[in-house]
Amino acid sequence: MLVLSRQRDESIMIGDNIVVTIVDIRGDKVRLGINAPSEIPVHRQEVYEAIQRENIQAASLAPEETRDIGGLTSK
Amino acid sequence: MWINTTRFGRIDVDSADLLNFQSGLPGLEQCREWALLADAENDALGWLQSTTRDDVAIAVVSPRRFVPQYQVRIPRSELTPLRLHDVKQAQLVVVVSKNNKGLTLNLKAPIVINLEARTGRQVVASGDLSLHQQLDHTLSTLKKSA
Repeated sequence: MLVLSRQRDESIMIGDNIVVTIVDIRGDKVRLGINAPSEIPVHRQEVYEAIQRENIQAASLAPEETRDIGGLTSK
Repeated sequence: MWINTTRFGRIDVDSADLLNFQSGLPGLEQCREWALLADAENDALGWLQSTTRDDVAIAVVSPRRFVPQYQVRIPRSELTPLRLHDVKQAQLVVVVSKNNKGLTLNLKAPIVINLEARTGRQVVASGDLSLHQQLDHTLSTLKKSA
Protein backbone atom coordinates (compact mmCIF):
# COMPACT_ATOMS: atom_id res chain seq x y z
CA MET A 1 0.00 0.00 0.00
CA LEU A 2 1.21 3.47 -0.86
CA VAL A 3 1.46 5.62 2.28
CA LEU A 4 1.75 9.41 2.01
CA SER A 5 2.07 11.99 4.77
CA ARG A 6 -0.19 15.01 4.40
CA GLN A 7 -1.04 18.05 6.49
CA ARG A 8 -4.32 19.87 6.81
CA ASP A 9 -5.45 21.49 3.52
CA GLU A 10 -3.07 19.34 1.51
CA SER A 11 -4.39 16.96 -1.13
CA ILE A 12 -3.55 13.89 -3.10
CA MET A 13 -4.60 13.20 -6.66
CA ILE A 14 -5.81 9.81 -7.88
CA GLY A 15 -5.59 9.64 -11.64
CA ASP A 16 -6.15 13.03 -13.21
CA ASN A 17 -9.62 13.79 -11.91
CA ILE A 18 -9.96 12.63 -8.30
CA VAL A 19 -8.69 14.89 -5.53
CA VAL A 20 -8.75 13.91 -1.86
CA THR A 21 -8.12 16.79 0.55
CA ILE A 22 -7.41 16.64 4.27
CA VAL A 23 -10.02 19.11 5.52
CA ASP A 24 -9.54 18.76 9.24
CA ILE A 25 -7.66 16.67 11.80
CA ARG A 26 -8.96 16.42 15.34
CA GLY A 27 -7.58 13.82 17.70
CA ASP A 28 -7.99 10.44 16.02
CA LYS A 29 -10.50 11.75 13.47
CA VAL A 30 -9.63 12.94 9.99
CA ARG A 31 -12.14 14.73 7.77
CA LEU A 32 -11.60 14.20 4.06
CA GLY A 33 -12.96 16.17 1.15
CA ILE A 34 -13.35 14.17 -2.04
CA ASN A 35 -13.69 15.70 -5.47
CA ALA A 36 -14.49 13.09 -8.08
CA PRO A 37 -16.40 12.97 -11.38
CA SER A 38 -20.13 12.47 -10.91
CA GLU A 39 -19.99 8.91 -12.31
CA ILE A 40 -17.62 7.74 -9.57
CA PRO A 41 -19.50 6.72 -6.41
CA VAL A 42 -17.68 7.25 -3.13
CA HIS A 43 -18.60 5.13 -0.09
CA ARG A 44 -17.52 4.56 3.45
CA GLN A 45 -15.97 1.12 3.26
CA GLU A 46 -17.95 -0.37 6.15
CA VAL A 47 -21.25 0.58 4.47
CA TYR A 48 -20.21 -1.06 1.21
CA GLU A 49 -19.07 -4.21 3.02
CA ALA A 50 -22.35 -4.37 4.95
CA ILE A 51 -24.25 -4.22 1.64
CA GLN A 52 -22.06 -7.02 0.24
CA ARG A 53 -22.86 -9.23 3.24
CA GLU A 54 -26.55 -8.37 3.01
CA ASN A 55 -26.69 -9.33 -0.70
CA ILE A 56 -24.92 -12.63 -0.15
CA GLN A 57 -27.36 -13.44 2.64
CA ALA A 58 -30.29 -12.37 0.43
CA ALA A 59 -29.11 -14.64 -2.39
CA SER A 60 -29.64 -17.65 -0.14
CA LEU A 61 -33.36 -16.96 0.33
CA ALA A 62 -35.64 -19.70 -0.99
CA PRO A 63 -39.07 -18.97 -2.51
CA GLU A 64 -40.75 -21.01 0.27
CA GLU A 65 -39.36 -18.58 2.84
CA THR A 66 -41.13 -15.64 1.23
CA ARG A 67 -44.64 -17.11 1.17
CA ASP A 68 -46.23 -14.88 3.81
CA ILE A 69 -44.70 -11.63 2.57
CA GLY A 70 -48.04 -10.37 1.22
CA GLY A 71 -49.34 -10.17 4.80
CA LEU A 72 -46.30 -8.44 6.21
CA THR A 73 -45.52 -4.84 6.85
CA SER A 74 -42.68 -2.86 8.29
CA LYS A 75 -42.16 -2.89 12.05
CA MET B 1 -33.26 -17.59 -24.32
CA TRP B 2 -33.33 -20.50 -21.92
CA ILE B 3 -31.59 -20.26 -18.57
CA ASN B 4 -31.17 -22.82 -15.83
CA THR B 5 -32.10 -21.85 -12.30
CA THR B 6 -31.93 -23.85 -9.09
CA ARG B 7 -35.12 -22.28 -7.71
CA PHE B 8 -37.38 -22.10 -10.76
CA GLY B 9 -36.01 -24.84 -13.00
CA ARG B 10 -35.28 -24.24 -16.66
CA ILE B 11 -37.03 -21.08 -17.82
CA ASP B 12 -37.42 -19.19 -21.06
CA VAL B 13 -36.72 -15.47 -20.77
CA ASP B 14 -37.16 -12.95 -23.54
CA SER B 15 -33.77 -11.36 -24.17
CA ALA B 16 -35.54 -7.97 -24.30
CA ASP B 17 -36.49 -8.50 -20.66
CA LEU B 18 -32.94 -8.90 -19.40
CA LEU B 19 -31.35 -6.23 -17.24
CA ASN B 20 -27.72 -5.23 -17.40
CA PHE B 21 -26.00 -4.31 -14.13
CA GLN B 22 -22.72 -2.81 -15.26
CA SER B 23 -21.13 -3.22 -11.81
CA GLY B 24 -22.97 -6.36 -10.75
CA LEU B 25 -24.25 -6.18 -7.20
CA PRO B 26 -21.99 -5.61 -4.19
CA GLY B 27 -20.91 -9.09 -3.08
CA LEU B 28 -22.01 -10.50 -6.45
CA GLU B 29 -19.89 -8.33 -8.69
CA GLN B 30 -19.53 -11.00 -11.40
CA CYS B 31 -23.30 -11.21 -11.90
CA ARG B 32 -23.97 -8.52 -14.47
CA GLU B 33 -26.93 -9.87 -16.38
CA TRP B 34 -30.20 -10.55 -14.61
CA ALA B 35 -33.74 -11.52 -15.53
CA LEU B 36 -36.55 -9.93 -13.53
CA LEU B 37 -39.12 -12.64 -12.86
CA ALA B 38 -42.55 -12.39 -11.29
CA ASP B 39 -43.11 -14.72 -8.34
CA ALA B 40 -45.58 -17.45 -9.28
CA GLU B 41 -47.52 -17.24 -6.01
CA ASN B 42 -47.13 -13.71 -4.78
CA ASP B 43 -47.76 -10.63 -6.88
CA ALA B 44 -45.94 -8.40 -4.37
CA LEU B 45 -42.69 -10.22 -5.06
CA GLY B 46 -40.22 -10.35 -7.91
CA TRP B 47 -36.95 -12.22 -8.35
CA LEU B 48 -33.78 -10.99 -9.93
CA GLN B 49 -32.29 -14.16 -11.34
CA SER B 50 -28.69 -14.16 -12.51
CA THR B 51 -28.40 -15.51 -16.06
CA THR B 52 -24.87 -16.74 -15.44
CA ARG B 53 -25.20 -18.34 -11.99
CA ASP B 54 -28.19 -20.62 -11.68
CA ASP B 55 -28.08 -20.56 -7.85
CA VAL B 56 -28.12 -16.78 -7.52
CA ALA B 57 -31.52 -15.12 -7.29
CA ILE B 58 -32.55 -12.18 -5.15
CA ALA B 59 -36.10 -11.49 -4.00
CA VAL B 60 -37.20 -7.89 -4.52
CA VAL B 61 -40.29 -5.88 -3.65
CA SER B 62 -41.57 -2.38 -4.23
CA PRO B 63 -40.76 -0.74 -0.89
CA ARG B 64 -43.74 1.60 -0.53
CA ARG B 65 -46.14 -1.29 -0.20
CA PHE B 66 -44.36 -2.34 3.00
CA VAL B 67 -42.88 0.93 4.24
CA PRO B 68 -45.30 3.67 3.14
CA GLN B 69 -43.18 6.47 4.63
CA TYR B 70 -40.05 5.34 2.74
CA GLN B 71 -38.36 8.16 0.91
CA VAL B 72 -34.92 8.01 -0.62
CA ARG B 73 -32.36 10.55 -1.57
CA ILE B 74 -29.81 9.14 -3.96
CA PRO B 75 -26.59 10.99 -4.80
CA ARG B 76 -26.35 11.87 -8.47
CA SER B 77 -23.07 9.96 -8.78
CA GLU B 78 -25.00 6.78 -8.07
CA LEU B 79 -27.52 7.39 -10.85
CA THR B 80 -25.19 8.67 -13.58
CA PRO B 81 -24.19 5.16 -14.76
CA LEU B 82 -27.87 4.30 -15.35
CA ARG B 83 -28.22 7.05 -17.95
CA LEU B 84 -31.67 8.01 -16.75
CA HIS B 85 -33.08 10.83 -18.84
CA ASP B 86 -36.31 10.95 -16.94
CA VAL B 87 -37.01 9.83 -13.38
CA LYS B 88 -40.25 8.30 -14.65
CA GLN B 89 -38.21 5.63 -16.43
CA ALA B 90 -36.87 4.50 -13.11
CA GLN B 91 -38.29 1.72 -11.03
CA LEU B 92 -37.13 1.35 -7.45
CA VAL B 93 -37.11 -2.02 -5.69
CA VAL B 94 -35.52 -3.23 -2.47
CA VAL B 95 -33.86 -6.54 -1.66
CA VAL B 96 -35.62 -9.01 0.63
CA SER B 97 -33.46 -10.96 3.04
CA LYS B 98 -33.90 -12.73 6.35
CA ASN B 99 -32.43 -12.80 9.79
CA ASN B 100 -33.27 -14.92 12.84
CA LYS B 101 -36.42 -12.84 13.44
CA GLY B 102 -37.84 -13.18 9.95
CA LEU B 103 -37.82 -11.34 6.65
CA THR B 104 -36.05 -8.01 6.23
CA LEU B 105 -35.80 -5.27 3.62
CA ASN B 106 -32.61 -3.43 2.65
CA LEU B 107 -33.78 0.19 2.62
CA LYS B 108 -30.26 1.62 2.65
CA ALA B 109 -29.29 0.16 -0.71
CA PRO B 110 -32.27 0.05 -3.09
CA ILE B 111 -31.96 -1.17 -6.67
CA VAL B 112 -32.81 1.37 -9.36
CA ILE B 113 -33.84 -0.02 -12.73
CA ASN B 114 -33.92 2.06 -15.91
CA LEU B 115 -36.88 0.42 -17.62
CA GLU B 116 -36.13 1.94 -21.02
CA ALA B 117 -32.41 1.20 -21.23
CA ARG B 118 -32.83 -2.10 -19.32
CA THR B 119 -30.02 -1.21 -16.96
CA GLY B 120 -29.91 -1.54 -13.20
CA ARG B 121 -27.77 -0.59 -10.27
CA GLN B 122 -27.83 -1.02 -6.54
CA VAL B 123 -27.30 2.40 -5.05
CA VAL B 124 -26.48 3.68 -1.57
CA ALA B 125 -29.15 6.09 -0.38
CA SER B 126 -28.28 9.06 1.81
CA GLY B 127 -29.30 9.24 5.42
CA ASP B 128 -30.01 6.88 8.25
CA LEU B 129 -31.80 3.92 6.66
CA SER B 130 -31.75 0.31 7.76
CA LEU B 131 -29.92 -2.42 5.85
CA HIS B 132 -32.28 -4.94 7.39
CA GLN B 133 -35.61 -3.39 8.23
CA GLN B 134 -37.64 -6.09 9.96
CA LEU B 135 -40.95 -7.02 8.38
CA ASP B 136 -43.54 -7.73 10.99
CA HIS B 137 -46.52 -10.01 10.81
CA THR B 138 -48.43 -8.88 13.87
CA LEU B 139 -48.68 -5.27 12.83
CA SER B 140 -50.36 -6.07 9.53
CA THR B 141 -52.79 -8.44 11.23
CA LEU B 142 -53.76 -5.62 13.59
CA LYS B 143 -54.19 -3.22 10.70
CA LYS B 144 -56.45 -5.63 8.87
CA SER B 145 -58.71 -6.06 11.88
CA ALA B 146 -58.91 -2.33 12.57
